[in-house]
Amino acid sequence: MTGFYARWGMVGALGLLLVFLTYQDYQTRLSTIPLSGIMSGNTPKEPIRIQGMVKSGTLAGKVEQGEATFEFTEGTVTIPVEYHGPPPENLRELKVMVLKGRWDAEAYVFKAQDTALVNNYGYVAAAYGVSCLTIVLMLFAMSQRVMVLFKEIKESKLYEPEVDSLAKKQ
Amino acid sequence: MNRFIRYIQRYKGWFGGAAAICLLVGLYTGLLVSPPDYYQGEVVRIMYVHVPLAHTSLLAYSILFGGSIWFLWKRDPLVDNMCQAASSITALFTGLALVTGSIWAKPTWNTWWTWDPRLVSFAVLLLILAGYMMLRRLVDDPDKQGIYAAVLAIVGGVDLPIIKFSVEWWRTLHQPMSISTRGISISDDLLLPLTFMSLGCWLLFAYMLMVRTQMLYLIELLQAKKGRLLSQTHFSQSAQ
Repeated sequence: MTGFYARWGMVGALGLLLVFLTYQDYQTRLSTIPLSGIMSGNTPKEPIRIQGMVKSGTLAGKVEQGEATFEFTEGTVTIPVEYHGPPPENLRELKVMVLKGRWDAEAYVFKAQDTALVNNYGYVAAAYGVSCLTIVLMLFAMSQRVMVLFKEIKESKLYEPEVDSLAKKQ
Repeated sequence: MNRFIRYIQRYKGWFGGAAAICLLVGLYTGLLVSPPDYYQGEVVRIMYVHVPLAHTSLLAYSILFGGSIWFLWKRDPLVDNMCQAASSITALFTGLALVTGSIWAKPTWNTWWTWDPRLVSFAVLLLILAGYMMLRRLVDDPDKQGIYAAVLAIVGGVDLPIIKFSVEWWRTLHQPMSISTRGISISDDLLLPLTFMSLGCWLLFAYMLMVRTQMLYLIELLQAKKGRLLSQTHFSQSAQ
């Protein structure tokens, strides 16, 4: 019986490890920095991701060729942006989106190199969470029931050698 | 003990282990390695769990369908046990496919549910399975229970081709088949985790079917043993 719970403990530990790895990856690869945060002076040197909305009436340049300037806003903070990169499919005014690039504090401009969609990781987590938890719970309940049944059969008064030998293997 | 049950006891661990490996590789590649979709973004990762669940529920119902025909032909109680086991696992996979599909629909179609032929035919499958399980509980006679349930499962099999071809027969919001005899219209980056997750779900279904069939057999065996014990006690008391 101890082996049964040890096996299931390992399954649980593996599941938690996968959740932790995914969360770490999300934090390093997909998280965004608030616009107010990049103006505090502690902005990292490597490319960062910021989320906000393209301000109406500010988009200019050759967007189809991947060259554009616009103002990016989030709450009360607005910053100027220079975009040089692949032609963005989703770049338009009043669009909430994610920009990848570097903050140039001296020139007071965010130099964007790429765009991304706003993450909807909550839906992904919900879908995986519901599926994995339900299946694991059903599997655990069935396996536990089989183990208990073997035990009951073994302990019942009528002796059945084949059942007994299988129960030992459990 | 039945020879088939002994085989299950001996080999089910292999299926469980293989399923765990495939699912772990599929989850790792699906969540951490594969790139986000250019249009859907990160939400595309729901595909790696929704599509394998939907495929597996169709495969599982096909097994229930085949098992029901076999039971009506041979009247093997163990096949009846297997069908009963398959029904609840199929209901689980079908329900999860509907729930994950609904979660995926919200950010992509901007609705949790729509009266689309694929969605409706899949929901009908869940209702058929619910009816199958209710029938099993309502009929007390085990022989009649097996026969009625098998007939219902065979009649319900009509829904399988409707689900499969609904995206071709009717105008639908649901995307058409990505993998068919006409070819594969899906990128290799997305195909790898999808393949591992599908294989993992099929193996997981096989493992769950084995465990549940074994469970149902052991319940019957225990009941039979208790029955024998009771009759033996009654016989010895009567003799005194």
